[in-house]
Amino acid sequence: MAGTKLLMTFPVTATSHTLADYRARGGYATLARVLREMKPEDVTKEVTASGLQGRGGAAFPVGRKWQVVHLDDGQPHYLCANADEGEPGTFKDRWILENAPHLLLESMLIASYALQVRNAFVYIRGEFDLPYRRLAAAVEEAYGAGYFGERILGSDFSCDVVVYRGAGSYVCGEASALITSIEGKRGYPRNRPPRLTVRGLYQKPTVINNVESLANITGIIANGAEAFRKVGTAKAPGTRLLSVSGHVERPGVYEVESGYPFRDFLREELGGVLGGRALKAVIPGGISAKVLTAAEIEPLALDQSVFEAAGSTLGSGGMIVIAEGTCMVRLLQVMLRFYHHESCGQCTPCREGMGWMHRVIDRIVAGQGRPEDVATLYHVSRWNDGTTICGMGDAAGYATTAILDKFRDEFDYWIANGRSKHRGVLEVGNA
Amino acid sequence: MPEIFIDGRAVQAEKDQTVLQAALANGIFIPYFCWHPQLSVAGNCRICVVEVEAKGGSWLDISCNMPVSEGMRVRTDSEEVRAQRKAILQFITLNHPVDCGICDKAGECTLQDYHYAYNGAPSISHDPKVRATKFFDLSRRILLDNERCILCSRCVRFTREISKSHALGIEDRGDHSLVRPAEDGCFDDDPYSDNVIDLCPVGALLAKSFLYKARVWYLRPTPSVCPGCERGCAVNLWHRRPEWQLNALDPRQNTAIARVTPRENPAVNGPWICNKGRDLAAIFERARAEQAMLKGAPVGLAEAIAAARRLIEAARHPVALVSNWGSNEELAAFKRSLAGRFSAAFVKIDRQPDPGERLEDDFLIKRDKNPNTAGARALFDDAPAALPAATDLVLVWGEGGDFARLPAGAKTILLGSYLAPENGHADVFIPVSIQTERRGSYTNFAGVVSTFEPCFAKKPAVADAEALFAQLGAEERVPA
Repeated sequence: MAGTKLLMTFPVTATSHTLADYRARGGYATLARVLREMKPEDVTKEVTASGLQGRGGAAFPVGRKWQVVHLDDGQPHYLCANADEGEPGTFKDRWILENAPHLLLESMLIASYALQVRNAFVYIRGEFDLPYRRLAAAVEEAYGAGYFGERILGSDFSCDVVVYRGAGSYVCGEASALITSIEGKRGYPRNRPPRLTVRGLYQKPTVINNVESLANITGIIANGAEAFRKVGTAKAPGTRLLSVSGHVERPGVYEVESGYPFRDFLREELGGVLGGRALKAVIPGGISAKVLTAAEIEPLALDQSVFEAAGSTLGSGGMIVIAEGTCMVRLLQVMLRFYHHESCGQCTPCREGMGWMHRVIDRIVAGQGRPEDVATLYHVSRWNDGTTICGMGDAAGYATTAILDKFRDEFDYWIANGRSKHRGVLEVGNA
Repeated sequence: MPEIFIDGRAVQAEKDQTVLQAALANGIFIPYFCWHPQLSVAGNCRICVVEVEAKGGSWLDISCNMPVSEGMRVRTDSEEVRAQRKAILQFITLNHPVDCGICDKAGECTLQDYHYAYNGAPSISHDPKVRATKFFDLSRRILLDNERCILCSRCVRFTREISKSHALGIEDRGDHSLVRPAEDGCFDDDPYSDNVIDLCPVGALLAKSFLYKARVWYLRPTPSVCPGCERGCAVNLWHRRPEWQLNALDPRQNTAIARVTPRENPAVNGPWICNKGRDLAAIFERARAEQAMLKGAPVGLAEAIAAARRLIEAARHPVALVSNWGSNEELAAFKRSLAGRFSAAFVKIDRQPDPGERLEDDFLIKRDKNPNTAGARALFDDAPAALPAATDLVLVWGEGGDFARLPAGAKTILLGSYLAPENGHADVFIPVSIQTERRGSYTNFAGVVSTFEPCFAKKPAVADAEALFAQLGAEERVPA
């Protein structure tokens, strides 16, 4: 057991996602208490005090985002749950949507109350089928039980929720592209300023939180910020859902208390590297997080601040474990193919740069690499750093340069010899 | 009025300005592709980067979306800014075909200018360029070369924000994004569509009417006024420079309008014109009348003028119908020299709307399809339903005279510019010059006076109306 659990606190059964089971676990009691006893600003105060960080990737404090919204500005406010989980390697929100949809909905109601939101949205990834069906069914159940709609539970608070399915774009998981997509437009990210908490969905103040961030709200309000801060570390309180894939014995979604040692997590929870191989590297938080070599990650604790200090991030919690013998050139090729495919094409550096890097790495893999190719990859990455509308160009650049920095020899080898240093292996066998 | 510092220079900015606007307003140039003063901020080309200097360090950001704030300091020419501009130009030229040699835009292309000003280096790429559609029919009037397109989205924003046809959008994504019409042929219905050709910072949007017609450096713009309706949009008429006159090829090109572009005038048309204004050649380059005639028999210009004088002097009830295509100067000359010799002078409406032409909208196009009705009405009365029965001479100046309804037996003097059947029926026909051959001004529907300059020399056999009126009205001078 990787420490205290806050979300995965119940056994998953055939009915554990239903309203009846959720109520039996004490569900919607917190909402009732909030509506009865708390003022909206008290909820925000509690969330701020909890130190909860966003779980979508940027780890921005949730409370600070909420505080930007002025309750008395006379405008409608919107809340969007970002369920467009598309970062490669990440599938932890899916667990919540499939198994605890009511936890998300109760949390959204509490957040909507805190932010005085009349209309809340869930933007769910288009490819999610079961998660969507589970969530849609939960919304129906919740409406049936009077948790949504007019004058919820006899209070003055009214709130509706709309579940909006995306159409398969990675970039639409970026907050501003997400709301542009909800508005029915092409999913292009928006320039800042203005911030979305000032002018977001339909030009009104909008808070967009990741599903896991929101799912933590109910627990924080139920047990208090103090209790939440007791879990995890001082700098990164609470737990993290980590979706682990790659070369491990037991891939899957795990809840880990912040600060739990990576070494123990790998050995005890994940069953070690596949086939007992040596660990080569780990991409800790979705492919946009910088890769860490085995030596770099092994001493680390699973704590956002620790990973930041190590030059990477737990990001979206999508951990990809890479065994010794894997070809990092092929890995980068797969990543760049993804970024090329998903670049929305709005702004110049990413639109041109992603394809450029993809063509360069394809050429290297085809055995036609040139000595200056690595320099070109560095150039394109640097030219994307902080120069694009959204973070995608930067992220692709960071991911690329981290692999180039740490595994340069494999690139030089392929360029010089026209073939992989590791036989081009991406999938390592069990034996 | 926040004070900001651009390259160390204190600049007074307006409260709502962006750094880019403040810089341009103060004569500091920052390059831009996607930004346009009349369109919303897209912030996608990223060439307008500046370096913001603050206590915590400095960073690059785009100036077109950066609000000014008191005391802020930006650099437009630091090492980092120059490096990033080079990088952006590397990106933009990565998949751009650089086929300037056969591109109509060459010579007035923003990308070309910026490449010389800010980059100058060849591409560092060795990989094949992304191929895309060339010669895509965006509408009946416009070709789109998707390989040249830099996806600045100016054309798309124009159809959404200015012409409101919503005819264009971007399909697909990444480096295979394509500008496309929303539906096949829907851009045909936008009467302002050709403005996107001017908006395009590169040679992606091309006028079919100008395709491969001339290199722009052989052309010269002459300021003029569109006579297509009473809006009187300011335009530039582009024609061959005198120093580049053609001798061996078709010399008619020397006196042809190569293209028409808007000339910015905030009081009238902003930077836009409608498609009709682009097609002024269709009006001005109709077959010209260059021969004076007496009842269809060719005579010299002087002889025709003398005959007209005799008719005017002999008439008891002469009436004049003046052209609302006449300039204010010509109309004033008529009033000054000739009005006293006619019993009455009325404003004639020269041109009616063409079949299918858009009559009016809430943007530029006005119902009256003549340039100077307001100027003519300021000096002359509107024509009655029928001319007095006693009328024995009618001077018809310009097109659109209804000869069938003139009083029976009245003699006619016709001043016309184009070949028409009625020219031969008039007792006296005198060919007169057109707008492209003279200087003058029109008064538009709102009372704004705009002047136009001559593009070409008038032929000797054709009269200048202003001089002609002085000759016709002169008391003592007996023509030869």
